[in-house]
Amino acid sequence: MRRVIILLLMQVLLWALLAELNHGLSGWQVHIFGGALFVVYPALHLGRTEGLIVAGWAGLLCDAHSPVTFGTHGLLFAAAHLLLFRARERVPRKDPVSQILVVLFTNLALFLGLNLLRLPLAPAIGGVWARLLPDLLASQLTLVAVTVWYLALQDRLVRLGDTWTERSGQRG
Amino acid sequence: MTLLRRRPLPPVPFKRFSQANPLLTLGLIFAAWLLLPTALKTFARASFFELTAPVTLAASRVRDLQDFWALRARSRTELIEAGRDLARVNSSFELAVQQNGALRAEVARLEELLRLPPLRDHRLEHARVARRDFSGWWQRIVIRKGRDHGIPAGAPVVFSGGVVGRVAEVHANTAVVELISSPTMRLAGVVEGDTRPISFQGAVNPTLAPPRGVVELMPLDIIASPAVPKRLVTAGFGGVFPPGLTLGTIIRADLASDGLFKSGEVALDSRLGTLTEVSVLVPAAPAAAPVRAAP
Repeated sequence: MRRVIILLLMQVLLWALLAELNHGLSGWQVHIFGGALFVVYPALHLGRTEGLIVAGWAGLLCDAHSPVTFGTHGLLFAAAHLLLFRARERVPRKDPVSQILVVLFTNLALFLGLNLLRLPLAPAIGGVWARLLPDLLASQLTLVAVTVWYLALQDRLVRLGDTWTERSGQRG
Repeated sequence: MTLLRRRPLPPVPFKRFSQANPLLTLGLIFAAWLLLPTALKTFARASFFELTAPVTLAASRVRDLQDFWALRARSRTELIEAGRDLARVNSSFELAVQQNGALRAEVARLEELLRLPPLRDHRLEHARVARRDFSGWWQRIVIRKGRDHGIPAGAPVVFSGGVVGRVAEVHANTAVVELISSPTMRLAGVVEGDTRPISFQGAVNPTLAPPRGVVELMPLDIIASPAVPKRLVTAGFGGVFPPGLTLGTIIRADLASDGLFKSGEVALDSRLGTLTEVSVLVPAAPAAAPVRAAP
Protein backbone atom coordinates (compact mmCIF):
# COMPACT_ATOMS: atom_id res chain seq x y z
CA MET A 1 0.00 0.00 0.00
CA ARG A 2 2.88 2.33 0.84
CA ARG A 3 4.32 1.77 -2.66
CA VAL A 4 1.03 2.80 -4.22
CA ILE A 5 0.82 5.98 -2.14
CA ILE A 6 4.41 6.92 -3.01
CA LEU A 7 3.73 6.39 -6.71
CA LEU A 8 0.44 8.33 -6.57
CA LEU A 9 2.34 11.30 -5.15
CA MET A 10 5.01 10.87 -7.81
CA GLN A 11 2.30 11.02 -10.47
CA VAL A 12 1.13 14.36 -9.08
CA LEU A 13 4.74 15.60 -9.15
CA LEU A 14 5.17 14.47 -12.76
CA TRP A 15 1.89 16.09 -13.75
CA ALA A 16 2.98 19.36 -12.11
CA LEU A 17 6.37 19.28 -13.85
CA LEU A 18 4.80 18.63 -17.25
CA ALA A 19 2.27 21.42 -16.63
CA GLU A 20 5.11 23.83 -15.81
CA LEU A 21 7.02 22.77 -18.90
CA ASN A 22 3.98 23.31 -21.10
CA HIS A 23 3.34 26.66 -19.43
CA GLY A 24 6.84 27.76 -20.35
CA LEU A 25 6.58 26.46 -23.92
CA SER A 26 3.17 27.99 -24.63
CA GLY A 27 4.71 31.04 -26.30
CA TRP A 28 6.19 28.76 -28.96
CA GLN A 29 2.98 26.76 -29.41
CA VAL A 30 4.64 23.52 -28.35
CA HIS A 31 2.94 20.97 -26.12
CA ILE A 32 4.76 18.13 -24.42
CA PHE A 33 2.84 14.90 -23.88
CA GLY A 34 4.45 12.51 -21.40
CA GLY A 35 1.71 9.94 -20.84
CA ALA A 36 4.10 6.97 -20.95
CA LEU A 37 6.01 8.18 -17.90
CA PHE A 38 2.84 7.77 -15.84
CA VAL A 39 2.42 4.18 -16.95
CA VAL A 40 5.77 2.46 -17.45
CA TYR A 41 7.16 2.15 -13.92
CA PRO A 42 3.94 0.81 -12.36
CA ALA A 43 3.53 -1.66 -15.24
CA LEU A 44 7.12 -2.95 -15.05
CA HIS A 45 7.58 -3.09 -11.29
CA LEU A 46 4.22 -3.26 -9.49
CA GLY A 47 1.51 -5.88 -9.25
CA ARG A 48 -1.31 -5.78 -11.77
CA THR A 49 -3.95 -4.23 -9.50
CA GLU A 50 -1.56 -1.81 -7.80
CA GLY A 51 -0.23 -0.66 -11.16
CA LEU A 52 -3.74 -0.33 -12.52
CA ILE A 53 -4.68 1.95 -9.62
CA VAL A 54 -1.62 4.14 -10.15
CA ALA A 55 -2.05 4.35 -13.94
CA GLY A 56 -5.80 5.00 -13.65
CA TRP A 57 -5.20 7.71 -11.05
CA ALA A 58 -2.71 9.46 -13.33
CA GLY A 59 -5.11 9.21 -16.24
CA LEU A 60 -7.95 10.79 -14.28
CA LEU A 61 -5.56 13.51 -13.12
CA CYS A 62 -4.82 14.34 -16.76
CA ASP A 63 -8.52 14.11 -17.64
CA ALA A 64 -9.47 16.66 -15.00
CA HIS A 65 -7.24 19.24 -16.67
CA SER A 66 -8.13 18.54 -20.29
CA PRO A 67 -11.34 19.32 -22.17
CA VAL A 68 -11.86 15.67 -23.09
CA THR A 69 -14.47 13.18 -21.97
CA PHE A 70 -13.62 12.36 -18.38
CA GLY A 71 -11.99 8.94 -18.34
CA THR A 72 -10.33 9.08 -21.77
CA HIS A 73 -6.78 9.27 -20.42
CA GLY A 74 -7.71 6.95 -17.57
CA LEU A 75 -8.86 4.15 -19.86
CA LEU A 76 -5.96 4.59 -22.29
CA PHE A 77 -3.44 4.53 -19.46
CA ALA A 78 -5.13 1.45 -18.00
CA ALA A 79 -4.99 -0.28 -21.38
CA ALA A 80 -1.30 0.61 -21.78
CA HIS A 81 -0.63 -0.68 -18.27
CA LEU A 82 -2.31 -4.02 -18.93
CA LEU A 83 -0.52 -4.54 -22.24
CA LEU A 84 2.87 -3.61 -20.77
CA PHE A 85 2.22 -5.82 -17.76
CA ARG A 86 1.70 -8.80 -20.05
CA ALA A 87 4.93 -8.11 -21.89
CA ARG A 88 7.11 -7.16 -18.94
CA GLU A 89 8.80 -10.56 -18.56
CA ARG A 90 10.32 -10.07 -22.02
CA VAL A 91 11.62 -6.55 -21.27
CA PRO A 92 14.98 -6.01 -19.53
CA ARG A 93 13.66 -3.75 -16.84
CA LYS A 94 16.95 -2.46 -15.45
CA ASP A 95 18.58 -1.55 -18.74
CA PRO A 96 18.33 2.22 -19.39
CA VAL A 97 18.18 1.84 -23.18
CA SER A 98 15.32 -0.65 -22.90
CA GLN A 99 13.53 1.64 -20.48
CA ILE A 100 13.80 4.54 -22.90
CA LEU A 101 12.61 2.43 -25.82
CA VAL A 102 9.63 1.12 -23.87
CA VAL A 103 8.70 4.66 -22.81
CA LEU A 104 9.06 5.99 -26.36
CA PHE A 105 6.91 3.27 -27.94
CA THR A 106 4.29 3.54 -25.19
CA ASN A 107 4.19 7.30 -25.54
CA LEU A 108 3.83 7.06 -29.30
CA ALA A 109 0.93 4.63 -28.91
CA LEU A 110 -0.80 6.80 -26.29
CA PHE A 111 -0.24 9.97 -28.31
CA LEU A 112 -1.70 8.42 -31.44
CA GLY A 113 -4.57 6.87 -29.49
CA LEU A 114 -5.56 10.17 -27.89
CA ASN A 115 -5.26 12.13 -31.11
CA LEU A 116 -7.14 9.61 -33.20
CA LEU A 117 -9.98 9.91 -30.70
CA ARG A 118 -9.95 13.69 -31.20
CA LEU A 119 -9.50 13.62 -34.97
CA PRO A 120 -13.22 13.52 -35.90
CA LEU A 121 -13.52 16.94 -34.22
CA ALA A 122 -10.67 18.48 -36.25
CA PRO A 123 -11.55 21.55 -38.34
CA ALA A 124 -8.77 20.84 -40.89
CA ILE A 125 -6.87 17.57 -40.82
CA GLY A 126 -3.80 18.91 -42.65
CA GLY A 127 -3.40 21.70 -40.14
CA VAL A 128 -3.80 19.31 -37.24
CA TRP A 129 -0.97 17.01 -38.29
CA ALA A 130 1.29 19.98 -39.03
CA ARG A 131 0.89 20.86 -35.38
CA LEU A 132 0.84 17.37 -33.91
CA LEU A 133 4.05 16.11 -35.52
CA PRO A 134 6.32 18.79 -33.96
CA ASP A 135 4.53 18.21 -30.65
CA LEU A 136 5.22 14.48 -30.91
CA LEU A 137 8.86 15.07 -31.80
CA ALA A 138 9.33 17.48 -28.89
CA SER A 139 7.59 15.04 -26.52
CA GLN A 140 9.76 12.11 -27.56
CA LEU A 141 12.95 14.15 -27.23
CA THR A 142 11.89 15.29 -23.77
CA LEU A 143 11.19 11.70 -22.76
CA VAL A 144 14.61 10.57 -23.97
CA ALA A 145 16.10 13.20 -21.68
CA VAL A 146 14.08 12.50 -18.53
CA THR A 147 13.03 8.84 -18.62
CA VAL A 148 16.04 7.32 -16.87
CA TRP A 149 16.06 10.03 -14.20
CA TYR A 150 12.33 9.77 -13.49
CA LEU A 151 12.24 5.96 -13.39
CA ALA A 152 15.31 5.94 -11.11
CA LEU A 153 13.65 8.50 -8.84
CA GLN A 154 10.52 6.37 -8.58
CA ASP A 155 12.62 3.27 -7.93
CA ARG A 156 14.63 5.02 -5.25
CA LEU A 157 11.56 6.32 -3.44
CA VAL A 158 9.81 2.95 -3.60
CA ARG A 159 12.92 1.27 -2.14
CA LEU A 160 13.09 3.88 0.62
CA GLY A 161 9.46 3.17 1.39
CA ASP A 162 10.14 -0.58 1.49
CA THR A 163 13.11 -0.09 3.81
CA TRP A 164 11.04 2.05 6.12
CA THR A 165 8.30 -0.59 6.18
CA GLU A 166 10.82 -3.32 7.03
CA ARG A 167 12.32 -1.25 9.86
CA SER A 168 8.90 -0.44 11.26
CA GLY A 169 8.11 -4.19 11.14
CA GLN A 170 11.31 -5.08 12.97
CA ARG A 171 10.62 -2.50 15.69
CA GLY A 172 7.07 -3.76 16.05
CA MET B 1 -14.22 -51.58 -5.24
CA THR B 2 -10.84 -49.95 -5.41
CA LEU B 3 -11.05 -49.95 -9.20
CA LEU B 4 -14.31 -48.05 -9.09
CA ARG B 5 -12.93 -45.41 -6.78
CA ARG B 6 -12.15 -42.26 -8.71
CA ARG B 7 -8.72 -40.74 -8.53
CA PRO B 8 -8.81 -37.21 -7.02
CA LEU B 9 -8.40 -34.39 -9.53
CA PRO B 10 -5.16 -32.39 -9.35
CA PRO B 11 -5.64 -29.14 -7.46
CA VAL B 12 -6.41 -26.20 -9.77
CA PRO B 13 -4.49 -23.04 -8.82
CA PHE B 14 -6.87 -20.27 -7.82
CA LYS B 15 -6.81 -17.42 -10.35
CA ARG B 16 -8.43 -14.17 -9.57
CA PHE B 17 -10.75 -12.87 -12.26
CA SER B 18 -8.61 -9.79 -12.86
CA GLN B 19 -5.69 -12.07 -13.75
CA ALA B 20 -7.69 -14.20 -16.15
CA ASN B 21 -7.59 -11.94 -19.14
CA PRO B 22 -6.31 -8.37 -19.10
CA LEU B 23 -8.34 -7.28 -22.09
CA LEU B 24 -11.50 -8.69 -20.55
CA THR B 25 -10.67 -6.78 -17.38
CA LEU B 26 -10.22 -3.62 -19.39
CA GLY B 27 -13.51 -4.24 -21.20
CA LEU B 28 -15.27 -4.63 -17.87
CA ILE B 29 -13.71 -1.41 -16.55
CA PHE B 30 -14.79 0.38 -19.73
CA ALA B 31 -18.35 -0.96 -19.47
CA ALA B 32 -18.52 0.04 -15.79
CA TRP B 33 -17.24 3.51 -16.70
CA LEU B 34 -19.88 3.91 -19.40
CA LEU B 35 -22.61 2.93 -16.97
CA LEU B 36 -21.40 5.33 -14.30
CA PRO B 37 -23.83 8.26 -13.91
CA THR B 38 -22.69 11.56 -15.43
CA ALA B 39 -23.14 13.31 -12.10
CA LEU B 40 -20.53 11.05 -10.54
CA LYS B 41 -18.09 11.67 -13.39
CA THR B 42 -18.61 15.43 -13.10
CA PHE B 43 -18.03 15.21 -9.36
CA ALA B 44 -14.87 13.14 -9.89
CA ARG B 45 -13.52 15.60 -12.47
CA ALA B 46 -14.12 18.56 -10.17
CA SER B 47 -12.56 16.67 -7.25
CA PHE B 48 -9.41 15.82 -9.20
CA PHE B 49 -9.14 19.43 -10.39
CA GLU B 50 -9.53 20.84 -6.88
CA LEU B 51 -7.08 18.28 -5.53
CA THR B 52 -4.35 19.62 -7.79
CA ALA B 53 -5.39 23.29 -7.64
CA PRO B 54 -3.00 24.02 -4.72
CA VAL B 55 -0.12 22.66 -6.82
CA THR B 56 -1.04 24.97 -9.71
CA LEU B 57 -1.44 27.97 -7.40
CA ALA B 58 1.81 27.25 -5.54
CA ALA B 59 3.76 27.01 -8.80
CA SER B 60 2.25 30.29 -9.94
CA ARG B 61 3.19 32.02 -6.66
CA VAL B 62 6.73 30.71 -6.93
CA ARG B 63 6.98 32.19 -10.43
CA ASP B 64 5.73 35.52 -9.10
CA LEU B 65 8.38 35.37 -6.38
CA GLN B 66 11.05 34.68 -8.99
CA ASP B 67 9.88 37.71 -10.98
CA PHE B 68 9.90 39.80 -7.82
CA TRP B 69 13.51 38.92 -7.01
CA ALA B 70 14.51 39.40 -10.63
CA LEU B 71 12.99 42.90 -10.55
CA ARG B 72 14.78 43.68 -7.30
CA ALA B 73 18.04 43.09 -9.10
CA ARG B 74 17.32 46.04 -11.43
CA SER B 75 19.31 49.22 -10.93
CA ARG B 76 17.81 52.40 -9.46
CA THR B 77 18.29 54.22 -12.75
CA GLU B 78 16.12 51.66 -14.51
CA LEU B 79 13.43 52.00 -11.81
CA ILE B 80 13.45 55.79 -12.10
CA GLU B 81 13.09 55.55 -15.87
CA ALA B 82 10.25 53.04 -15.50
CA GLY B 83 8.52 55.33 -12.98
CA ARG B 84 8.81 58.28 -15.34
CA ASP B 85 7.33 56.28 -18.23
CA LEU B 86 4.54 55.07 -15.97
CA ALA B 87 3.72 58.62 -14.91
CA ARG B 88 3.31 59.60 -18.59
CA VAL B 89 1.02 56.64 -19.24
CA ASN B 90 -0.97 57.47 -16.11
CA SER B 91 -1.53 61.06 -17.17
CA SER B 92 -2.87 59.96 -20.57
CA PHE B 93 -5.10 57.40 -18.85
CA GLU B 94 -6.45 60.05 -16.48
CA LEU B 95 -7.49 62.08 -19.49
CA ALA B 96 -9.11 58.98 -21.03
CA VAL B 97 -11.02 58.37 -17.78
CA GLN B 98 -12.42 61.90 -17.90
CA GLN B 99 -13.48 61.44 -21.54
CA ASN B 100 -14.98 58.09 -20.62
CA GLY B 101 -17.08 59.69 -17.89
CA ALA B 102 -18.38 62.32 -20.31
CA LEU B 103 -19.23 59.65 -22.91
CA ARG B 104 -21.04 57.51 -20.33
CA ALA B 105 -23.13 60.49 -19.31
CA GLU B 106 -23.94 61.11 -22.97
CA VAL B 107 -24.95 57.45 -23.47
CA ALA B 108 -27.17 57.57 -20.40
CA ARG B 109 -28.80 60.79 -21.64
CA LEU B 110 -29.47 59.27 -25.08
CA GLU B 111 -30.85 56.08 -23.53
CA GLU B 112 -33.23 58.15 -21.46
CA LEU B 113 -34.18 60.31 -24.43
CA LEU B 114 -34.74 57.42 -26.84
CA ARG B 115 -36.14 55.10 -24.15
CA LEU B 116 -33.54 52.43 -24.96
CA PRO B 117 -32.78 49.56 -22.58
CA PRO B 118 -29.48 50.30 -20.77
CA LEU B 119 -26.31 48.65 -22.07
CA ARG B 120 -25.09 45.74 -20.03
CA ASP B 121 -22.55 46.93 -17.50
CA HIS B 122 -19.50 44.97 -16.36
CA ARG B 123 -17.06 45.16 -13.52
CA LEU B 124 -13.42 44.26 -14.15
CA GLU B 125 -11.95 41.46 -12.06
CA HIS B 126 -8.20 41.29 -12.62
CA ALA B 127 -6.56 37.90 -12.27
CA ARG B 128 -3.08 36.44 -12.60
CA VAL B 129 -2.55 33.57 -15.00
CA ALA B 130 -1.57 30.48 -13.05
CA ARG B 131 -1.04 28.10 -15.96
CA ARG B 132 -1.13 28.11 -19.74
CA ASP B 133 -1.99 24.92 -21.63
CA PHE B 134 -1.68 25.22 -25.41
CA SER B 135 -2.06 21.91 -27.21
CA GLY B 136 -3.03 21.33 -30.82
CA TRP B 137 -6.61 20.70 -29.76
CA TRP B 138 -7.20 23.32 -27.12
CA GLN B 139 -5.75 26.59 -25.88
CA ARG B 140 -6.61 27.26 -22.26
CA ILE B 141 -5.32 29.18 -19.29
CA VAL B 142 -6.03 28.77 -15.59
CA ILE B 143 -6.48 32.03 -13.67
CA ARG B 144 -6.07 32.56 -9.95
CA LYS B 145 -9.62 33.65 -9.27
CA GLY B 146 -12.79 31.60 -9.20
CA ARG B 147 -16.19 31.17 -7.65
CA ASP B 148 -15.09 32.77 -4.38
CA HIS B 149 -14.29 35.97 -6.30
CA GLY B 150 -17.62 36.06 -8.10
CA ILE B 151 -16.36 34.79 -11.47
CA PRO B 152 -19.28 33.28 -13.43
CA ALA B 153 -19.01 30.63 -16.13
CA GLY B 154 -19.19 32.09 -19.64
CA ALA B 155 -17.86 35.53 -18.64
CA PRO B 156 -15.68 37.27 -21.25
CA VAL B 157 -11.99 37.70 -20.50
CA VAL B 158 -9.92 40.56 -21.94
CA PHE B 159 -6.44 42.05 -21.79
CA SER B 160 -4.77 45.15 -23.17
CA GLY B 161 -4.63 43.59 -26.65
CA GLY B 162 -8.35 42.78 -26.82
CA VAL B 163 -10.33 39.61 -26.20
CA VAL B 164 -8.59 36.69 -24.47
CA GLY B 165 -11.50 34.26 -24.39
CA ARG B 166 -14.36 33.03 -22.27
CA VAL B 167 -14.50 31.41 -18.82
CA ALA B 168 -15.12 27.73 -19.50
CA GLU B 169 -14.98 26.23 -15.99
CA VAL B 170 -15.20 27.83 -12.58
CA HIS B 171 -13.72 26.27 -9.46
CA ALA B 172 -13.40 27.55 -5.91
CA ASN B 173 -10.22 29.62 -6.32
CA THR B 174 -9.41 29.08 -9.97
CA ALA B 175 -11.15 29.32 -13.31
CA VAL B 176 -10.33 27.87 -16.71
CA VAL B 177 -10.46 30.27 -19.65
CA GLU B 178 -10.80 29.02 -23.20
CA LEU B 179 -8.81 31.28 -25.52
CA ILE B 180 -10.10 32.70 -28.79
CA SER B 181 -7.25 30.87 -30.53
CA SER B 182 -8.75 27.54 -29.43
CA PRO B 183 -10.28 25.60 -32.36
CA THR B 184 -13.50 25.06 -30.40
CA MET B 185 -14.07 28.77 -29.73
CA ARG B 186 -16.56 30.51 -32.02
CA LEU B 187 -18.09 33.98 -31.76
CA ALA B 188 -19.57 36.77 -33.86
CA GLY B 189 -17.41 39.66 -35.01
CA VAL B 190 -17.59 42.62 -37.35
CA VAL B 191 -14.99 44.42 -39.40
CA GLU B 192 -14.30 47.77 -37.76
CA GLY B 193 -16.63 50.37 -39.27
CA ASP B 194 -19.00 47.73 -40.65
CA THR B 195 -22.16 46.34 -39.10
CA ARG B 196 -22.52 43.01 -40.90
CA PRO B 197 -21.69 40.04 -38.65
CA ILE B 198 -18.91 37.58 -39.47
CA SER B 199 -18.33 34.19 -37.90
CA PHE B 200 -14.97 33.98 -36.12
CA GLN B 201 -13.44 30.70 -34.99
CA GLY B 202 -10.12 29.77 -33.44
CA ALA B 203 -7.86 27.51 -35.50
CA VAL B 204 -5.21 24.87 -35.10
CA ASN B 205 -2.16 26.93 -34.23
CA PRO B 206 1.08 25.95 -35.94
CA THR B 207 4.27 25.50 -33.95
CA LEU B 208 6.65 28.47 -33.60
CA ALA B 209 4.09 30.85 -35.11
CA PRO B 210 1.77 33.46 -33.63
CA PRO B 211 -1.78 32.36 -32.79
CA ARG B 212 -4.40 32.63 -35.50
CA GLY B 213 -8.06 32.17 -36.23
CA VAL B 214 -10.37 31.92 -39.21
CA VAL B 215 -13.39 33.91 -40.36
CA GLU B 216 -16.33 32.66 -42.38
CA LEU B 217 -19.52 34.16 -43.81
CA MET B 218 -17.67 37.37 -44.68
CA PRO B 219 -19.41 39.70 -47.18
CA LEU B 220 -17.87 39.69 -50.66
CA ASP B 221 -17.08 43.40 -50.72
CA ILE B 222 -14.70 43.21 -47.78
CA ILE B 223 -11.16 43.02 -49.06
CA ALA B 224 -8.31 42.06 -46.76
CA SER B 225 -4.71 41.10 -47.39
CA PRO B 226 -1.40 41.35 -45.52
CA ALA B 227 -0.91 44.74 -47.21
CA VAL B 228 -4.46 45.91 -46.40
CA PRO B 229 -5.42 44.19 -43.13
CA LYS B 230 -8.82 44.74 -41.54
CA ARG B 231 -9.36 44.98 -37.80
CA LEU B 232 -11.91 42.49 -36.51
CA VAL B 233 -13.87 43.42 -33.38
CA THR B 234 -16.62 41.79 -31.36
CA ALA B 235 -20.11 42.31 -32.69
CA GLY B 236 -21.78 42.40 -29.29
CA PHE B 237 -24.48 39.94 -30.36
CA GLY B 238 -25.65 37.48 -27.75
CA GLY B 239 -24.85 39.82 -24.90
CA VAL B 240 -21.71 37.98 -23.75
CA PHE B 241 -18.94 40.11 -25.26
CA PRO B 242 -19.41 43.88 -25.31
CA PRO B 243 -19.17 45.32 -28.83
CA GLY B 244 -15.96 46.82 -30.18
CA LEU B 245 -13.34 44.67 -28.44
CA THR B 246 -10.40 43.69 -30.65
CA LEU B 247 -10.32 40.08 -31.80
CA GLY B 248 -7.49 40.29 -34.29
CA THR B 249 -6.61 41.40 -37.80
CA ILE B 250 -7.97 39.81 -40.95
CA ILE B 251 -4.91 39.29 -43.15
CA ARG B 252 -6.41 37.15 -45.90
CA ALA B 253 -9.86 36.84 -47.44
CA ASP B 254 -10.68 34.42 -50.27
CA LEU B 255 -13.89 33.40 -51.94
CA ALA B 256 -15.45 30.48 -50.09
CA SER B 257 -16.41 27.26 -51.87
CA ASP B 258 -20.11 28.26 -51.90
CA GLY B 259 -19.31 31.48 -53.80
CA LEU B 260 -21.68 33.48 -51.64
CA PHE B 261 -19.28 34.56 -48.92
CA LYS B 262 -15.58 34.91 -48.26
CA SER B 263 -13.51 33.06 -45.69
CA GLY B 264 -10.19 34.21 -44.38
CA GLU B 265 -7.41 34.11 -41.84
CA VAL B 266 -7.12 36.23 -38.72
CA ALA B 267 -3.81 37.07 -37.07
CA LEU B 268 -4.32 37.19 -33.31
CA ASP B 269 -2.24 39.10 -30.79
CA SER B 270 1.07 37.29 -30.32
CA ARG B 271 0.95 38.11 -26.59
CA LEU B 272 -1.85 35.54 -26.17
CA GLY B 273 0.82 32.89 -25.82
CA THR B 274 2.59 34.62 -22.95
CA LEU B 275 -0.26 36.10 -20.94
CA THR B 276 0.45 36.73 -17.27
CA GLU B 277 -2.52 38.88 -16.25
CA VAL B 278 -6.06 39.17 -17.61
CA SER B 279 -9.32 40.86 -16.66
CA VAL B 280 -12.63 39.07 -16.38
CA LEU B 281 -15.69 41.13 -17.32
CA VAL B 282 -18.12 40.15 -14.61
CA PRO B 283 -21.65 41.26 -15.47
CA ALA B 284 -22.82 43.81 -12.92
CA ALA B 285 -25.96 42.99 -10.99
CA PRO B 286 -28.91 44.51 -12.88
CA ALA B 287 -30.11 47.65 -11.16
CA ALA B 288 -33.80 48.07 -10.53
CA ALA B 289 -35.05 49.49 -13.80
CA PRO B 290 -37.18 52.63 -13.44
CA VAL B 291 -40.79 52.16 -14.45
CA ARG B 292 -41.36 54.05 -17.67
CA ALA B 293 -44.66 55.18 -19.00
CA ALA B 294 -45.69 53.73 -22.33
CA PRO B 295 -45.09 56.17 -25.21
